[in-house]
Amino acid sequence: MKALLEARNVTRSFAGLVAVDNVSFTLEPGEILGLIGPNGAGKTTLISLISGTQPPSSGEILFQGESINHLPAFRRARLGIGRTFQIMRPFPGLSVLDNVAVGALFGRGDGEAKLAKAREYARECLEFVGLGKIIDKRADELGGPDRKRLELAKALAMQPQVLLCDEVMAGLNHSEIDEVIEVIRKVRDRGISILVIEHVIKAIKSLSDRLLVLHHGEMIAEGTPDDVLADPIVIEAYLGKKRA
Amino acid sequence: MKAWKIGLILAVLAVFAGVPWYGSDVLIQFGINALLLAVLAQGWNIIGGYTGYASFGNSVFFGLGGYGVGIAMVQWHLPFAVGMAFGVVLAVVFAVLLGIPVLRLKGHYFAIATLALSQVMTAIVSNVGIAGQNIGLVLPPLNNDPLFYELSLGLLSIATLTIWGLTRSRFGFGLIAIRENEEGAAVMGVNTTLYKVMAFALSGIFSALAGGIHAYWITFLDPASAFDISLNVKMIIMAVFGGPGTVLGPIVGALSLSAISEFLSSEVTSIAGLFFGLVIVVAVVLMPRGLADMLRRMRKLGWGYFIENIRAHRL
Amino acid sequence: MDLLAQILVNGVLQGGLYAVMALGLALVWGVLNIVNLAHGAFIMLGGYASWYLYTDLHIDPFLGLPLTAVVMFAIGYGIQRGLLNLVIRAPMFNTLLITFGLEVVLTYLAQMVFSADFRTINPSYAGNSFTLGPLVVPVARLVAFAVAIFLTVSMWLFLLHTRLGRAIRATAQNLVAARLYGVEPRHLYAMTFGLGIALAGMAGTLYGTVSQINPYIGATLTAKSFAISIIGGLENPLGVLVGGLFLGIVESLTTLYIGQTYADVASFGILVLVLIVRPGGLLGKTT
Repeated sequence: MKALLEARNVTRSFAGLVAVDNVSFTLEPGEILGLIGPNGAGKTTLISLISGTQPPSSGEILFQGESINHLPAFRRARLGIGRTFQIMRPFPGLSVLDNVAVGALFGRGDGEAKLAKAREYARECLEFVGLGKIIDKRADELGGPDRKRLELAKALAMQPQVLLCDEVMAGLNHSEIDEVIEVIRKVRDRGISILVIEHVIKAIKSLSDRLLVLHHGEMIAEGTPDDVLADPIVIEAYLGKKRA
Repeated sequence: MKAWKIGLILAVLAVFAGVPWYGSDVLIQFGINALLLAVLAQGWNIIGGYTGYASFGNSVFFGLGGYGVGIAMVQWHLPFAVGMAFGVVLAVVFAVLLGIPVLRLKGHYFAIATLALSQVMTAIVSNVGIAGQNIGLVLPPLNNDPLFYELSLGLLSIATLTIWGLTRSRFGFGLIAIRENEEGAAVMGVNTTLYKVMAFALSGIFSALAGGIHAYWITFLDPASAFDISLNVKMIIMAVFGGPGTVLGPIVGALSLSAISEFLSSEVTSIAGLFFGLVIVVAVVLMPRGLADMLRRMRKLGWGYFIENIRAHRL
Repeated sequence: MDLLAQILVNGVLQGGLYAVMALGLALVWGVLNIVNLAHGAFIMLGGYASWYLYTDLHIDPFLGLPLTAVVMFAIGYGIQRGLLNLVIRAPMFNTLLITFGLEVVLTYLAQMVFSADFRTINPSYAGNSFTLGPLVVPVARLVAFAVAIFLTVSMWLFLLHTRLGRAIRATAQNLVAARLYGVEPRHLYAMTFGLGIALAGMAGTLYGTVSQINPYIGATLTAKSFAISIIGGLENPLGVLVGGLFLGIVESLTTLYIGQTYADVASFGILVLVLIVRPGGLLGKTT
């Protein structure tokens, strides 16, 4: 079975800094792949390379076996690659509902041509993430945790095949984190493969089928959560950081 | 849309359409100017208000429309309608060719680039023979103000209808998304380059049509007045004063500011310009979101609306 | 060959003047992110101020520069503190609009107070020129050029080496950082704008000695200042100098080889090209 998403020897460097260094991995259909690493390891950059917001300096990104290096961000979105942003990007002047409707209108394939249907689907997605009660609020009136859910809903409305989640749990308390874990599991149950970047180790351990570790742009470990988290190289990368 | 709203709009439209019958000649002329300015403001609204790209190049489209009509009628002896079509073609070509590189710029830089483009166009057209160079063109006269009035009103109606349609369409949503957060829009599947160029071209089409009507009406064209940058500034002011990114805002802005300007000119000629400038300055401080927003929120906030605006925007 | 050399000299002299004209605009734009559409009008005001100082009080325009500077600084400070500070955090084109409104107000005020006649500031030595081999260099132009260079370099040194200058530069990056210099933001903004207007005023004085002033020159001068600021980049006064010299030379060459009417096409055409290819200006960053 072909991997859904594949990175082959992907490198990204600019201004003398190597942000991502010769990284290769695959994302299989129906899988939740966790991506961890100390701050500045290059995780968000890697996601940007996949979603198309930045070009790789070398290497290839493949989606369903085909190279997508040359495709601009919006085309990749339409192919089925959805993404949430760590630094969130809502449409501030629009209502929560309309924020998500944009995703439905322009998402997978040709999206939805009719505004009414797009809004309907947006409503569903918002219910799914638990924001059903505040769909008419302006997006810039939302607090932190709600904004995270909004990001998720927007990505979901695009009907992606792959969802790239960038730190959706940052700044949440324990119960909020458990709720988000549930939502992500529900997303996977819908048949969407997920690449999750997280700092909350406990959460990512329970979520992920497999785990990748980045450090200084390089991939230093890959495998099941138990194996990876016991790996001495990984422990050193984190502890070394703590000591410094 | 509710029936009474439609009825109201049709009634207002009828009142406006009836002006050539019950209005004085002066009123008709004022009307043509004000209506054409409203069309320009609406055109700008598409690229500036909805897409968020403050263009100073719409006066170029106005000039291209005028010259399209001028060249077609004077040099090639074709009818007015063909001239209008020609003007539209020129505008679209310009919008696509120059829009693609220039729309990659953001904010102030985009504004400056379009401003520079308009200066370049003026200079180029001044040197092109077919356009009559510096001397300009004189069009065949048509002494029928009521006709021009109705044409202008019709064009404004079409422009406004188009914008209304935009707000309920996928395309319009895409434009608003671009305005609110361009990178976010791209990642959600909006083809931002295509949409921006389309918005630019659409706004250009309306500006060109207005330019064509204007040229035929005053029967004279020359580069300096056809591509006059102050026209662009006026349309921006009117759109922003009335409420950018709304369907009726630019119309309200254009008509009210034209009326104020006209009133001041007749009462206190020499200070008219001065007052106009003061009105703008005060309006930006007290009602930066335009008249439409003020009317909507003053009901709730009363005079506090102005204080709120200042407090929100001051350093 | 001689003609070319003369044209180049003219271009350089004009370029220096252009640079100081654009300096104030670039400063205000780069630091405060205010695009001042009334900039040219302030240049015009500075010119008139000097004209009155010369005609009524017989103060030599160049010697009177500090006086002009102080007056214009005060005006600029007042406008920023009392007016522009009120709209700074509003969406971008509000500052465009309000400065446009200011431009209209200033132009009409000037028309009412000074009348529409053309004026030139003509100190007795203004008509002289001296010859350098085959080249003719008008005295007034040379002095204007020298002052322009002096002002540009002084600005550069000021921004780099004085505490206030560094605070102003810090503001361009980050308002909070600026607070660390111990200067209150509203005051800092007003000082910066005042400085920009003072520069505009002085540019007006220089302009008045080599060219004619009337109430309507504001718009064209603003447009030119934009072109120069963008071509030179907003980061650095020396960049503005390069931009000014560049424009001056390009205009002279275009006038010589192609024709007067194309001078504008050349300058604005280059502006568009720079924006598209190197938005940071010839000397600036590439993004």
